[in-house]
Amino acid sequence: MIRLQNVSKSYAGRLALKDVNLHVALGEFAFLVGPSGAGKSTLMRLLYREEVPTSGNVFIGGVNLNKLSSPQIPLLRRRLGIIFQDYKLLTRQTAYDNVAYILRAHGIDEKEVRKRVNSALNVVNLEDKQDAFPDELSGGEQQRVGIARAIVNGPPVLLADEPTGNLDPATSLEIVQLLARISQRGTTVLISTHDHTIVNTMRRRVISMRAGEVATDIDSGFYEVQGQIQV
Amino acid sequence: MRHLRVFWRICVETMLGIKHSGWSNWLVVSILAIALTIFGSVLQLTMTLKDVVNYFGSQMVISAFLKDNFEPGKVAQEISQFVEVRLVEVIDKNKSWGEMQKTMKVASIPNPLPNTLHIRVAKPEQVEKLAPKLQLLSGVEAVRYPMMVARRLNEVRHFFEIAGVAVTAVLAFATLIVIGNTIHLVIQARHKEIEILSLMGVGHFYIKCPFVLQGAFYGAVSALFAAVVIIGVELYVIKPYVSNELVSFASMMPTGFGYNLVETFLVMLALGMAVGAGGGAWASGRYIKI
Ligand SMILES: Nc1ncnc2c1ncn2[C@@H]1O[C@H](COP(=O)(O)OP(=O)(O)OP(=O)(O)O)[C@@H](O)[C@H]1O
Ligand SMILES: [Mg+2]
Repeated sequence: MIRLQNVSKSYAGRLALKDVNLHVALGEFAFLVGPSGAGKSTLMRLLYREEVPTSGNVFIGGVNLNKLSSPQIPLLRRRLGIIFQDYKLLTRQTAYDNVAYILRAHGIDEKEVRKRVNSALNVVNLEDKQDAFPDELSGGEQQRVGIARAIVNGPPVLLADEPTGNLDPATSLEIVQLLARISQRGTTVLISTHDHTIVNTMRRRVISMRAGEVATDIDSGFYEVQGQIQV
Repeated sequence: MRHLRVFWRICVETMLGIKHSGWSNWLVVSILAIALTIFGSVLQLTMTLKDVVNYFGSQMVISAFLKDNFEPGKVAQEISQFVEVRLVEVIDKNKSWGEMQKTMKVASIPNPLPNTLHIRVAKPEQVEKLAPKLQLLSGVEAVRYPMMVARRLNEVRHFFEIAGVAVTAVLAFATLIVIGNTIHLVIQARHKEIEILSLMGVGHFYIKCPFVLQGAFYGAVSALFAAVVIIGVELYVIKPYVSNELVSFASMMPTGFGYNLVETFLVMLALGMAVGAGGGAWASGRYIKI
């Protein structure tokens, strides 16, 4: 579902990603870990075509993102659910309207919108807060709105760049477990994080990056500690 | 149906954008309204002059004033020999003097009027051909025809037309920049929102369209204000003036004289919306990077 072939990305001559090769299969759930500056966010931005690689190819569902024209980028992003560390909610709109936005922008009729939004809010268990504005919600609740928005279109791929970066440990675990439940329905999920506890609790695939390179890639792995990998 | 719903959503986004623009709405609308008022007035004036010119230009009568020692009937006979002439009417100087004395209460002085012939031709363009020939006749003192007035007016109109185009071009450019900058500010204020929409996969057209519509909306509202000003001036300043001070002049005019205000408004509306939408399109194209 997600494939990177010899991908490098440099900013002003400095390499942020070096010859990265990676494959995440359909329905897989994987963590992307690594110290600050390792290139996790850069990799994520390549996946949702916020950036283009300096060299190499990025594929999502067989589509080479290098070949996308500018009007095709929204089409790609509609097939991705993107979740952000800072949630990126529309502050002037309620939880419900945030989730409904993309559907309405495509002229889906209000009855169908209600059905899909309620179903997405149900998945994140936030139906009772649907009329709240983002600033009336806790961080965890805001992130759950973000997740509901990401899944409302039923995308085959979910990308989450440090989705728990601003949350306390208990809430973080809750959010990641929620994403794991969503992945069980066949959605490919890639989460970048440097939260050891979560990675070690979940015991899923761990792709570990260091200085722009994939250092290790282990199924049911642990977070790498001090250069050692516990298996 | 789906497209209709999308269009409706875009309109809602536009209205929200306008609501969030606050005081700058008024700045843009007042500047654009002033520009459109000037444009509309010039348009109204040149079009009215054009009407008058056409009215005079379409007259098919030449007035020939005769020398006192010539017999009007004889000159009329002579003139009717020209092929262009359809009808010659003799206006006796004593008769017209009598009428003038009745209507205008002029002092009893010797009759200053000449005998006059009204010569009708078949086609308007024959007026200018025939008039110089008449002038050469020995019995004719002077020749007058409405086209002479029309020519003068046409020159005036031409000047206003050129000045109007120039002024409009400058004003349109200035307002384009004002609108562009206002919408630039709106885009800046909403750049986070725009980024979010873009990441959510909202289409570029859907994101940019509200800004273009916002500009067009400014154009429409400004045209409305400008039209109110122009109609007000027309009704409360020009109309009373024309009917009080220029009654004799106005009575010469055909009824329904004057350029249609509705048409002026439609032209202002079109221009305002075009300039507004243009400013919005320019700003959203230049400043929304997605
Ligand atoms: N827009 C940019 N311009 C210049 N350099 C950049 C840009 N984005 C990232 N970099 C550089 O690329 C490298 C990788 O950054 P990236 O944000 O991908 O790291 P990260 O793994 O996400 O780190 P963190 O855990 O702190 O979020 C860093 O050295 C960073 O300075
Ligand atoms: Mg990062």
